Amino acid sequence: MPPTDKTDLLQGTLDMLILKVVSMGPVHGYAISLRIRQISREVLHVQQGSLYPALHRLEKRGWLTAEWGESENGRQAKFYRLSAKGRRQLTAEEASWNRLSEAVALILQTAEQQA
Amino acid sequence: MRDRRGSGAGRDEELDREIAFHIDELTRANVARGMTPEEARRQAQLEFGGREQVKQEMREVHTSQAMESARFNLRAALRFLRRSPSFSAAVILILAIGIGADSAVFSAMDAVVLQPLDYPHANRLVALYQHDSKHQNGNTFVAPVRLEDWNHLNSTFTAISGYYTDDMSETSGSLPERVKLALVAPRFLQVLEVAPMLGRDFTAREEHFGGPEAVLISYAFWQSHFHGDPDAIGQKLHVGSFSFSIVGVMPESFAFPDRDVELWTPSPPDAPYAQDRNETWFQAIGRMKPGITIRQAQTDLALVQQGLGRQFPDPDADLTVNSEPLKETVIGGIQGSLWMLYGSVTLLLLIACSNIAALLLARTADREHEISIRFSLGASRRAIVIQLLSEVLALTLAGSLLGLGIAAAAAHEFHLLAKTLPRAQEISLNWRIVAYSLACAVATALACGLIPALRGTRRPLAHSLAQTNRTQASARSRLQWFLVGVQVMLAVTLLTGAGLLLRSLQNLDRVSPGFDASHVLTFQITGSWAETSDMAALQRRIDTTLDALRAIPGVEHAATATFLPGVPAKYQVQFSVDGEQDPNRKILADLRVVSQGYFQTMQIPMLTGRTCRAGSPTSDMVVNRSFAALYFGDSPEVGHVLTQITNTPNPVEGRVVGVAGNDREEGMNTLPVPTIYLCLSAGGPFSYYLVRTHGAPLTMADAIRRRIHQLEPNRSVYGISTLQEHLSDASFNGRLRTILLSLFAVSAVVLACLGLYGTLSYLGRMRQREVGVRLALGALRGQILRGFLLQGIRVACVGCVAGLLLSLFTDQLLKGMLYGVSTVDPSTYLGVLGLILLVAAASSVLPAWRAARTEPTQVLRQE
Repeated sequence: MPPTDKTDLLQGTLDMLILKVVSMGPVHGYAISLRIRQISREVLHVQQGSLYPALHRLEKRGWLTAEWGESENGRQAKFYRLSAKGRRQLTAEEASWNRLSEAVALILQTAEQQA
Repeated sequence: MRDRRGSGAGRDEELDREIAFHIDELTRANVARGMTPEEARRQAQLEFGGREQVKQEMREVHTSQAMESARFNLRAALRFLRRSPSFSAAVILILAIGIGADSAVFSAMDAVVLQPLDYPHANRLVALYQHDSKHQNGNTFVAPVRLEDWNHLNSTFTAISGYYTDDMSETSGSLPERVKLALVAPRFLQVLEVAPMLGRDFTAREEHFGGPEAVLISYAFWQSHFHGDPDAIGQKLHVGSFSFSIVGVMPESFAFPDRDVELWTPSPPDAPYAQDRNETWFQAIGRMKPGITIRQAQTDLALVQQGLGRQFPDPDADLTVNSEPLKETVIGGIQGSLWMLYGSVTLLLLIACSNIAALLLARTADREHEISIRFSLGASRRAIVIQLLSEVLALTLAGSLLGLGIAAAAAHEFHLLAKTLPRAQEISLNWRIVAYSLACAVATALACGLIPALRGTRRPLAHSLAQTNRTQASARSRLQWFLVGVQVMLAVTLLTGAGLLLRSLQNLDRVSPGFDASHVLTFQITGSWAETSDMAALQRRIDTTLDALRAIPGVEHAATATFLPGVPAKYQVQFSVDGEQDPNRKILADLRVVSQGYFQTMQIPMLTGRTCRAGSPTSDMVVNRSFAALYFGDSPEVGHVLTQITNTPNPVEGRVVGVAGNDREEGMNTLPVPTIYLCLSAGGPFSYYLVRTHGAPLTMADAIRRRIHQLEPNRSVYGISTLQEHLSDASFNGRLRTILLSLFAVSAVVLACLGLYGTLSYLGRMRQREVGVRLALGALRGQILRGFLLQGIRVACVGCVAGLLLSLFTDQLLKGMLYGVSTVDPSTYLGVLGLILLVAAASSVLPAWRAARTEPTQVLRQE
């Protein structure tokens, strides 16, 4: 069931979303994609083709650590966990994201008022 | 948890499992939504998308980026080499010479100085000397009983042993051949920790007096006399008047105390003739216990010797113990020369580096456009620097391989050159040398590539594709000039060193030795220390031999001497004059034992009195002029009685019968020292024979050998050589280091000139436009020419002055290698200054002339 109205993610945003989801506790790839969809109320569909390379990239950068463990239904799954370095990165990205979205919101409002 | 950094296959499997889990979960969710299992799995796979593609992307995250870029850089480097073959060839050649020479000298350094001796735990081996603190007595050999005492009483050595060598004649051939025999104290092989290759070490019984006569033979002796037959063990060996049983064969590499020794046999310390504490027999060697420093060992032995001094006041109370690493003893004083050469050749490599750095600097400037494009395509500065460096590394690696090739090809010549070095046979091209030259390649790549690479890439992005920026060009040429200055400076340093060595050689050649070394043949005749028990018989034997020699047609004079004149060998002794001993004034002199006819053979003039006479009493003495001037003052020389001050049983005593002219018996580079000649044919069993011949000395060799064989069939003549050859051997190391240093200096000057030439040419090209404009505005070509010329000479001057200042320090290292010239010789320094300015001017003229010939119209049209 491919998503029909998928919203493209800005480059780098996916990384931040993954870090955010993982920051809530150890989680495997399937759960991450599920959670992003649920939390965004089905707006954001992460392609598996993007999710897994991203996970591995973040792991390689040392922002995530990974460990094989047992899933809810008793199967072996690879669980990701946020490292201290990743936590700092997440804080920085959230701050910069907030600044950006405020700025964008400001521009949209101001432009509306002037129009 | 699995190994996440595992092999590629392990990782692949892990990726698969991770993906499979995801698809399974999707399938499960689909089933929960009411799909059939098959439909659920199909949908899940569809949703996941291209599985292989995802895997590939994940794999790429992990593939090492370093590997990728290394391959890229290598390709780029090879492209770079191919694109400019002549530039590459020049750089590779310069580096090949630089690295090749450096590696060759390093191989000698490594084998002679750095590597431990070829024995297990060789750093625990020391040479031990006794020293007579009260008497000026150069003898450092140790009595057998004292050696045994040292061995029993110390607590820091696993064993102490000793050796001395003797000659024997082996008479199986048509003429007797000399065989060198080492007589060794007990525990000899135990100290060296070497076992015979075949057979066994001596047994305790064989090391005791009256035990079986046993001998160990060298590998070479085994090959030449037994053709490597293992049955040699147990056979009887008849050498001279002795008969030994062969108990073992030593390994081929074993060459202690030297390569000439072919037989080793025990010298029993309990022999009745070995009990005198005044004997000086053994060169002592010891193996320290693990963890003991040489200082601790020396302190320990000093205590032992103090104890012996109380027990045996005469002579032990006067003796102290000295020690030094055995390696120092083996390699002698060659270290200084080798370090000096290694330093110079490394300096040369440094000059080559700065030369190539300047070339690369110009080259990177030419590639500015290419670098700009790479920058604008998003390459990081680091990536570009690494790429530029890997190009240089490709060059230096090629250079070092070629250099190694040259070094390997020249290995034979190098061995011939180095033949007089101790441990020369250990010099080889091994993996250490290969590793060293590869390290050289990396170091030179950094040294000559880093500055140009950093310079070439130091530019804000805004400049990306802008045209050449003039201020940058001038900054770059400043750096280039600096490098040229450095080259001149280093070249000057080498040149002054070579100049000083050359001048001292020149001085030495001009020195008149005071004796005539031409037409003198020298040789030795086998003897043994046992003969010294009857000195009168020994003297009769030598006198008979001398008479026989004098009777051979073509022989003018013949004599013996304990030491060869002009070959350094010091034997300093303290004397009293007429029985008076002034406590404030020591009378020290070199003692030389010479036979009748010595002064005629060597053509040393007699100033007063007479020379040694045939059958003269053994107490006749001749002194040289400087002895007479120093110690006799105004009193008539002849008639004084000189007595050796010593604690040995038979002090040398004699009456002065004549005064001879001064001569340089201690070597050409040593001023005549006060010398006493004792008139005695037999100073020992191994005196040198000196024969003055009518014709070429070596043509007499055969006649002499045959005559000696007639006279004494059991003795052999060995070491036949001219005195002049001995003299040139004695100065060979000095000559060798002068030749090598001069070679390095000349190469350095050539490189510095090339650097100057290249830089000025480059500058001429860079400033073509400016020159064109100036010429168009009416400047004279002569002015332009002068401008360029002066620029080159100015840099050379600054470099030269810096180099001369540096020389003031570096030339101090040559102290002790110079003769008749000070380390800060003004005329040498001025000569170097003149030479450098001359060659600097010469190498600046062509580029300056070319720059001045620029056609203004042509340049302006190009713009």
